[in-house]
Amino acid sequence: MRAFFIPFRWTRLALACALALGAASPLQAYPEFQQSVVKTSRRAVNCALCHSHPDGPEGAAPGQIGRLTAAEQAELVRARAAFEPNAKPNSPILNAFGNHIVQSLGKRRFLELRLAPEQLAAALPKDSDLDGDGIADAEEYRAGTHPLLRSDGAPWLLFRANLQRNLPQILVVLAATLLGFYGLRHLLRGFAATAPNEEEEDLAAP
Amino acid sequence: MKPQQTLRRTGDFLAERFPVDKLNFASMVGKKEVPVHRLSWGYYLGGLALFFFMVQVVTGLMLLFYYQPTVSDAHASVEYITEHVPAGALVRNIHAWASSLMIASVLGHLLSAFAMKAFARPRELTWVSGALLLGITFAFGFTGYLLPWHQIAVNATKIGLQTIEEIGAYLPGQMSLWPAAIKEIIQGEATVGQATLSRFFALHVIILPLGIVAVLGAHLLSVQLHGMSQGVDDKPRRMEKFFPAFLLKDLSVWGVAFMILFVLGLCLPFESLFAYPLFEPYNPKGSTPDGIKPEWYFFWIYYPLELLPFWVILAGQGLLGVVLLGTPWIFRNTNRRTLQVLAVAAGLYLLVMTVFGETIYHLFKG
Amino acid sequence: MVDAFLFVGLPYIAIVTALIVGIRRVRGNPFSMSSRSSQFLEDRKLAWGSAPWHLGILVVLAGHVVAGVFPKIWSSLLAAPGALFVVEALGVAGSLLALAGLAALIYRRLTSARVQAVTVPADLIVSALLLGQILVGLMSAIHFRYGSAWSAGTVVPYFWGLVTLSPDLSYVADFPMLFKLHLVGAWLIVLLLPFTRLMHLLAVPLPYLWRAPQLVLWNNVRRRQQARAAVVQAESRREFLKGAAGAAGATGLLALGVSEKTLSFFRGPRPDLESESALLQKKLERLQQTAEERQLELERQRNDMILVGRYADLVETKGRYFIDYAMGPGLAFKGRDGLPIVLSAKCTHLGCTVGSELDARGRVLCPCHISYFDVQTGRPNDGAPAKLPLPQIGWALVDAGGKVVASRKPGQPLPGLLDPASLSQCSLYITKPGRDLGPS
Repeated sequence: MRAFFIPFRWTRLALACALALGAASPLQAYPEFQQSVVKTSRRAVNCALCHSHPDGPEGAAPGQIGRLTAAEQAELVRARAAFEPNAKPNSPILNAFGNHIVQSLGKRRFLELRLAPEQLAAALPKDSDLDGDGIADAEEYRAGTHPLLRSDGAPWLLFRANLQRNLPQILVVLAATLLGFYGLRHLLRGFAATAPNEEEEDLAAP
Repeated sequence: MKPQQTLRRTGDFLAERFPVDKLNFASMVGKKEVPVHRLSWGYYLGGLALFFFMVQVVTGLMLLFYYQPTVSDAHASVEYITEHVPAGALVRNIHAWASSLMIASVLGHLLSAFAMKAFARPRELTWVSGALLLGITFAFGFTGYLLPWHQIAVNATKIGLQTIEEIGAYLPGQMSLWPAAIKEIIQGEATVGQATLSRFFALHVIILPLGIVAVLGAHLLSVQLHGMSQGVDDKPRRMEKFFPAFLLKDLSVWGVAFMILFVLGLCLPFESLFAYPLFEPYNPKGSTPDGIKPEWYFFWIYYPLELLPFWVILAGQGLLGVVLLGTPWIFRNTNRRTLQVLAVAAGLYLLVMTVFGETIYHLFKG
Repeated sequence: MVDAFLFVGLPYIAIVTALIVGIRRVRGNPFSMSSRSSQFLEDRKLAWGSAPWHLGILVVLAGHVVAGVFPKIWSSLLAAPGALFVVEALGVAGSLLALAGLAALIYRRLTSARVQAVTVPADLIVSALLLGQILVGLMSAIHFRYGSAWSAGTVVPYFWGLVTLSPDLSYVADFPMLFKLHLVGAWLIVLLLPFTRLMHLLAVPLPYLWRAPQLVLWNNVRRRQQARAAVVQAESRREFLKGAAGAAGATGLLALGVSEKTLSFFRGPRPDLESESALLQKKLERLQQTAEERQLELERQRNDMILVGRYADLVETKGRYFIDYAMGPGLAFKGRDGLPIVLSAKCTHLGCTVGSELDARGRVLCPCHISYFDVQTGRPNDGAPAKLPLPQIGWALVDAGGKVVASRKPGQPLPGLLDPASLSQCSLYITKPGRDLGPS
């Protein structure tokens, strides 16, 4: 019984390991896009940009094909057949951004883009920002930052977007700080003003 | 020397360093004066470090409400804080930014105190306690780095701990086994795992804070007892009252620092300065990802470590430690001009290694 | 008819009269625009009456003015959770304070002989009117609760109808008697404004808060010292006042945003069902991963052999990762001679995991500090940071029947040539260090 169990586990694990290093077999994943992003952005981008699992869809870890339930299998089949845009795919091996690509381009256009992966960013809708960090998904894809991570993005763009969004709050805190320091300053001055008075009296006493 | 004499000398030494007769409000606050000269800005850096430390205490306690120090939950709980807890991202981000700013201001404080010869008699022990505080601060940075348990954290910690073991090769005989044993004690098991995480958590949250509070108390007390050091060779022409004039300026600096910290914490996630795959949870079965490096405040030692033979670094480290702790006695008779040149040189080295370290590394390694 | 007079006629009469008489008074007798201070005559009781009265009435009046003139801002203020309650409580507290103060003032005016000497009938009328007005207002605030909210749809449109010269009685018609009384009282106060000392309402003495204290010079040592002490006291009081004002303002501003945020930080998120289950699932997956790792550890402690993979799956150019007996990473390749190459993947420098792809010279790279290891021998390249070779790991090939076909321990010679064709059905295992597993 154990003899059976161990080999089974090990093929699964070894498969996952082999895929861990970006040697994803080109059966279902599309490493052209990853390679293109890595080249243009010079950032270490992995499969988790579009897939549920950082090692891509092949394997038996959560979010990979080897561990799908029957219902998820059905969703996967439906998503794979979404050749036209707006098919509302919900592929379990893709993350929200991956599904967003299939939804907005359709599988057919996407497969065409494999020949020119650098054009994917231009083909994506300009106004979609899935993580709401103020940088559009297409822009994030081009820069090699994660479109679903709010804390990931080009630092300057992120700073500007957040600054605009939080300006009222910052102004309130700024006003509070200024007021607080105004108050503190005068309180300290008040204490200081009473102090020399005692001294003078001391001097005056003898 | 007779033991009695030694005892008396020790007593005299301590009495001069901790003058109990000055231990009153009037002397420590009321009559204290701060010299005004061209290096006066250096007097504010220590207070700034104190401010960032206080921010760290508050935000750290807040994070403690949600963080879970186990291998399976650590990364998930950090994610939970950033993505789900209201204002959690802000608190965590401020904690990250303030740690960096605290280390920066501690380093600035060290260099400026050195340049102003603030360690001269009777302030030797103030300096030594400051050097200890520097060590504790770096230890805070090192232990805190592991806690989120993502790829970069665990792998960088592994490398850092392995460096300790390397020292063994340069020690004679039986002693060569000691560093490995020390590493095992810190690490708690064969590789960096749950035991390490628990130990680092205990260090970061309980042991180091207790240590820093004790040393910081002694440091601040002796600063107030002795007053500010003169700072320049000529007698400063003007003095200002510590209370309220200097304190007010100090507090204003705190206010500016708070605003900068708040805006940074709100608007610029510290993590955005790194590549995202490194922030995935640690995966013990994968290869070490490219681009592993420690936090920026270890660059000054990290890049030389990459470029030079290990024993050079080791010797340099040892020398640095000795010089740092022995500064008050080594530089007893050095004038301030020389000290300033040394401090500027050290500051330039830190700056260049921190900013251009990677470029230099690629220049030599190709 | 009565309503029309009280709520349309009276207001216009009051406003027009107030304007005309008021302007005449300001231009004809500007110094009369004061409250005719009686502080000189009596100051003890005055302090107990005047301070609470003014503080309270200012709070209440400010609420009325903001709600009436800027209804949109007012209702956006009230929209915050808990704000309505706070506003109502503030209003009631303010009017109670004003009531107490006014009562003290009236008592003083009626009992102090010196004050009586300067009292004119108008003062008494104004006092009584104000007292009644506040009482009625307080009663209606308590009786018809949350007036700060409902007035936005009733009194405010009525008021704006008057302002825009299109008075609409329909709002007022349904008001309760108590409230009508309050409105009439308000217009009466406006009417009386220019005829009485209430006129000082238009001369706000704010500069008193920050103007420098007046210094009286005495030609007498004791007096001079006294005067100086008084100045110091006044000065420090001014500083304390400013300090308290700043601190209060800062606290108030922070209370707007920060305190609520801090509270919700500690209260924690209240996720909806969907995101809560997603969260739980994520946690469970992480726990499963940890459990799998623990399982591996246990396997390594119990079993003499651990499967790496099928021999047929091994390739020459790309290693297969596995976990060795020390729970460190290992790599397995197919050698050129057809036999497996099995070695540790933990860099001998600082313990990073080396890469699995072979370069053209048959080496794998450790990315941390750039050491190349030859997989045949495990040795690092010259000048690499790593000095020691990657250790070899003992392995065994086991055929489909569970028989060990070949095995090799680290440092031992190769087991001779085997027919690669016979190996295709075999699986590669690593063997526990120190265990002897000869071909059986």
